Amino acid sequence: MGDNAPVATTILTVEDDERIRTSVRLALEDEGWNVIESETGEEAIASFPSANADVVLIDIMLPGIDGFEVCRSIRRQSDVPIVMVTARADTHDVVAGLEAGADDYLTKPFVPKELSARIRAMLRRARTPAPGTPHLVFGELELVPQEGLVLRNGEPVHLTKTEFKLLVELADQPGVVLSREDLLERVWGHGVFGDGRLVDVHIRRLRTKIENDPANPSHVVTVRGLGYKLQG
Amino acid sequence: MAADIAPEAKADDGGQSGLPEVRLGLRARIAFAVSLLSLLLSVGVSLTVYSVARHVLMDAREDAAGQRALANARIIAGQSLDEADRADLLGALSSLSEVGKPMVAWNGGASSTPLDPRYNLDQLPDSLVASGLAGDDPAIMRYVTGGETVLAVSVPIVEQNAAFFEVTLLGDIEDALNSIRIALAAAVVASTVAAAILGYWASRVTIRPLTRVTQAAQSVAAGQLDTRLDYHRVRHDPDLAPLVENFNGMLQALQTRINRDARFASDVSHELRSPLTTLNAGLQVLDNNRADMPERAQQALDLLSDDLVRFTQLVEDLLEMSRFDAGAVRLELDDVLLAPTVRSTVASLTDGQVPVETDPDVEDLVIACDKRRLAQILANFCNNADKYAGGATAVTVSRHEPEDASGEATVRIAVEDEGTGVPEEQRDAVFDRFNRGDQGGARGADVGVGLGLALAAEHARLQAGRVWVEDRADGGQGARFVVELPLLEVLGDADGEADDLSAATPESTSNLTMTGEHKALLLPGNNEGSTP
Repeated sequence: MGDNAPVATTILTVEDDERIRTSVRLALEDEGWNVIESETGEEAIASFPSANADVVLIDIMLPGIDGFEVCRSIRRQSDVPIVMVTARADTHDVVAGLEAGADDYLTKPFVPKELSARIRAMLRRARTPAPGTPHLVFGELELVPQEGLVLRNGEPVHLTKTEFKLLVELADQPGVVLSREDLLERVWGHGVFGDGRLVDVHIRRLRTKIENDPANPSHVVTVRGLGYKLQG
Repeated sequence: MAADIAPEAKADDGGQSGLPEVRLGLRARIAFAVSLLSLLLSVGVSLTVYSVARHVLMDAREDAAGQRALANARIIAGQSLDEADRADLLGALSSLSEVGKPMVAWNGGASSTPLDPRYNLDQLPDSLVASGLAGDDPAIMRYVTGGETVLAVSVPIVEQNAAFFEVTLLGDIEDALNSIRIALAAAVVASTVAAAILGYWASRVTIRPLTRVTQAAQSVAAGQLDTRLDYHRVRHDPDLAPLVENFNGMLQALQTRINRDARFASDVSHELRSPLTTLNAGLQVLDNNRADMPERAQQALDLLSDDLVRFTQLVEDLLEMSRFDAGAVRLELDDVLLAPTVRSTVASLTDGQVPVETDPDVEDLVIACDKRRLAQILANFCNNADKYAGGATAVTVSRHEPEDASGEATVRIAVEDEGTGVPEEQRDAVFDRFNRGDQGGARGADVGVGLGLALAAEHARLQAGRVWVEDRADGGQGARFVVELPLLEVLGDADGEADDLSAATPESTSNLTMTGEHKALLLPGNNEGSTP
């Protein structure tokens, strides 16, 4: 199992239900991860700077400050991959979680093996190896995959790892339309039942960072019914 | 709450009795009643006015005729004239009055020559002539001659053994009365029409509160649960205040109930999902150490694992169903490239073991549909085939043109199997909740409860589609489960960026060709706001 996972990988879990917290820790430790637990959002925010977490797992429903706020707070400090965990699959929670800066979400009850697969996919994308040409240029945009760098008009643009991976996947085949399913599989490692909202929210966030006019994008464009493509 | 509902149920039982079927609208009925009342009143007034006018005119004419006849008779009685002079006198008398036609008759048969040949002694009623000649008291009489009503007066002239008669014409009075009649009839018609119009207008004012209630009810039906009538405006109106108060009370109860149901569903969801998460994680830890366990423990662990999967699926299905029941579902229409979507979904459901045939005309078809729900329908069809028919054997995707002009084009996706098929009489029932049909008897180790097909039906219904089961297209043994969805085409402007960056739901970016009917489909989603 732990073939892709280095021993030192640390997961910070924020979960108020002690039984869930403990059982998930046990299962994740079995997968070879190092797990740090937080019972409340306040505790998680306090411990995050010193925890050196590689991935953060946040339950949305927490006593005190909720999961969204924890997510926003951590996102302000770091672009560590964040997975939101929700007991409700309704649109509002999912979209709000993603808007708060989460990279992925899981609905309870989840199978820990699936969580592990998601974490591995995220760490893969966090450590993007750069295939192909070293520099990709799309108008005023310049990608340096090997260095994980995106320049806009020569200025570096700050992208989260997921956003960067998404951009690299689109840039890998310029002008070619990638469906949401393609992107879900390549960026998030999800199967066919993955949630297209994940792609939409990240595309939207990506546009606000790299487009001159995010409302009328010129690089990351939507192709109706098909998906998205990157153009110069 | 139960107490609130009970009287309603009771009223429902007896609700059909009593009131006759109403064909006219309330406003029409009010206008009709007002105009009928006005008609009766104005007719009554008109008849009274007419009869008074008639009496007054007739009495005056009779008085005048009597006075004049007496005076004329006295003039004639005071003269001793021969025939020719008398004729002159009569001519002179008659010229005094436009309406009087004097004449004289003597006992023995002689009479004056009538000045106007239309009015002579022969036309006078015999009784009047006889009474005049007999020397009785002066008499007056109304009679009809030559189609007109006239007045005849007899005055005996005892001195000459004769009698004076005078016919008085009433034509001018009749004309006047006719004019009055016409004027009154016109007034009756005018006032009735005016009353009808007034009644209709007044009824609008009267039923305006009803109109507001109707609008409020429509708004609630459209999902606007916080709609209320303005109580403040009618609080001093003893007729409307209770209506508004009760209506608002009902809405409050309804909203509370719906919110509570939605919250309950949400709470149940949380309460069930949390322990299942622990179970799944804990069981996986056990499973990781399966090799170290004694065989009996391994067996028990496998049983637990299998049933946990089943139980998790059951909870998912129940929660999904409760969302439908609570009206807390939301349609998320997406632009979907149909054929590849079905292919990849079926491939992942069946490990690529089942061929997907698509008609050429659906190969590049992009439709607006809820992708997740479509995938759920296909998954439930495939699961059903797995459970009861040894697995799906073929999936087809086809396009169907409407049978008549009012219909709409549809797409059909059919999942076929080679099981025992579904008997005719079971074909509706298999889509009922927890219905296992006859196949339920053969419940195998991995056979779950029958919520899947019921959910498939709900998923389809939400997007104006439907599901059914039929015989296989090739006539072979087995069943063919079909989902039919409306072919909502996407307005294709390839790079048109309708993506609204501020939109809370990115999946609603589709620019759809929607008819009113389809818009109505989206209504259930409006309830989502009530989900806490």
